[in-house]
Amino acid sequence: MRVVVDLNRCEANGLCMGVAPEVFDLTDDDELILLQEHPDESEREHVEEAVRQCPRQAISIEEDA
Amino acid sequence: MSTAATDLYYDPYDFEIDADPYPVWKRMRDEQPLYYNEKHDFYAVSRWDDVEAGLKNHAQLISSHGTILELIKANIEMPPGMVIFDDPPSHTAYRGLMSRVFTPRKMNAIEPEIRRYCQVELDALDGASEFDIVEVLAAKMPMRVIGMLLGIPEQDQQAIRDQTDHGLHLDSADSYSAAFQDFGGAANEGSFGEYLDWRMDNPSDDVMTQLVQAEFEDHTGVTRRLTREEVLGYVNLLAGAGNETTTKLIGHAVRTLAECPDQRRDLRANPDLIPNAVEETLRFEAPSPIQSRYVNEDIVVHGQTVPEGSAIVLVNAAANHDERKWGPNAEEYDIRRKMDHHLSFGYGLHFCLGAALARLEGRVALDEIIQRFPDWSIDYDRSERSHTSTVRGWDKLTVVLD
Repeated sequence: MRVVVDLNRCEANGLCMGVAPEVFDLTDDDELILLQEHPDESEREHVEEAVRQCPRQAISIEEDA
Repeated sequence: MSTAATDLYYDPYDFEIDADPYPVWKRMRDEQPLYYNEKHDFYAVSRWDDVEAGLKNHAQLISSHGTILELIKANIEMPPGMVIFDDPPSHTAYRGLMSRVFTPRKMNAIEPEIRRYCQVELDALDGASEFDIVEVLAAKMPMRVIGMLLGIPEQDQQAIRDQTDHGLHLDSADSYSAAFQDFGGAANEGSFGEYLDWRMDNPSDDVMTQLVQAEFEDHTGVTRRLTREEVLGYVNLLAGAGNETTTKLIGHAVRTLAECPDQRRDLRANPDLIPNAVEETLRFEAPSPIQSRYVNEDIVVHGQTVPEGSAIVLVNAAANHDERKWGPNAEEYDIRRKMDHHLSFGYGLHFCLGAALARLEGRVALDEIIQRFPDWSIDYDRSERSHTSTVRGWDKLTVVLD
C-alpha cells in the first residue's frame, strides 16, 4: 500500500501521529512528515484507523498495482 | 406504522423542542432517517452514518449558500472570507491562510494565559455561594482568549461579543430572517473596521496582522493579499465562532456534571479524565447541534430523492446519540466512555478550525472549576437557555455551591 496525504488539507491535528506513530510525524513547525510512504502490511490497521480519524479527511491509501 | 410516523415533528426554531430535542431526534433516527419538514421546507438526517457521510460529501452538499437554515432560505450572497460559508476551490485558498494558526501544538502553548484568565475570574468570586457561571467565566474567558489571539484591545471585546450574540439570537421562533440581517451586517463591517485600519499601519504579533500580511494564491491563480473586506469577514467569523460555542461547551459541562454527582467526584479524584470528559460533553451536548447544507444536485437518501435546490439539515448532535454507533448507553453521559471521534466539530473540509482551542479552553475551565468546587447544583429557576437555531446551550446558568 501507498499512503497519500493531501497537504493542502492537513492542519496538523496530529491524530494520525497518535494512532500510527511509525508512519506519521509532525515537525515542530506543525508540518506533517510521512515516515513511511510504503509501510509494511502489519501497519495497515493503524493506517486505516488514521484515515478514519483524520478530521480533515486528508489521508488516503492507494493499493499497489 | 405509517400513521405513528406522521406525528413526528422536528423544528429547529421550536424552543420547546430545543429544550430537550433528544427524544425527537431518536424518533427521527428510528422512524424517519430521512425526515422532511413541510413548514420550513427542509430535509434532515440524524443517524451517525448519514450525518458523517453528509459532512464528507462537500461536492453535493455545499456550504456556499450558508450553513444556517435561514441563510440558505434567504438565498443571499455570502460575504467573502467567511470560510464556513464557502466551497472549494475558494474555500481551500482562504482556509489555507489559517491552517497552521490554531493547531493543537500552538494552542497548547497559550495554556498558561488561559489558566490565568480562569483563575482571576474564579478567584474574584471570593467565597460567593452562588453565581452565574456563564457570566463569570464561560462567556468572558473565550472572549478574552480569541481577543488576545486576534489582537483586539480588551475594552472593545465585550461590544464585539454582544454584536455576535445579537446576530445569532432569535426573538421568537419565526423571526429568523430578521436575525440574519444583523449577522450579514456584522460580516460587512462589524466592530472591527476601525481597528483593522489601525492595525494595517501598526502590525503586531497577532492573527489579524497575519491575515493582513499573508500572501496567498487565490482560486483564480492570482497571488495576492486579502482585501480589507475579506480580512473583515475572516476576523468576524473567528471572533464569533471563537466565543459563542465555547461558552456553550463550558455551560454544558457544568450543567451535566451537576446532574451526575458520582462522575463529578470521579473527575475531581482523577483529573487525568478531564480531556475525555470534555470530549464526552461535546458528544453528549453539542454546542452547534445542526449543520445545514444546500443540495447541489439530486441525491438519494434511504431510497428517496432529495432534489437539487433543497436544504438539508445534518443533525450532528443526533448522530452523537445514535445507538447504532454508540451502543445501548448512547443517551447516557459517561466521562469514561471510550471513543474515537464525535461529530460536534463537524468532519472533513469544514472541520472546526478552532477545535484544539475549544478543547483546551474546556479542559482548563473544567480543571479550575473542579479543583475549587467539589459539589454544586443548578438553580434552574434562575437559569436561561439561549434561543438560536445554530447554537444550543445556556445564556445564564446559576450554580449553587453545596
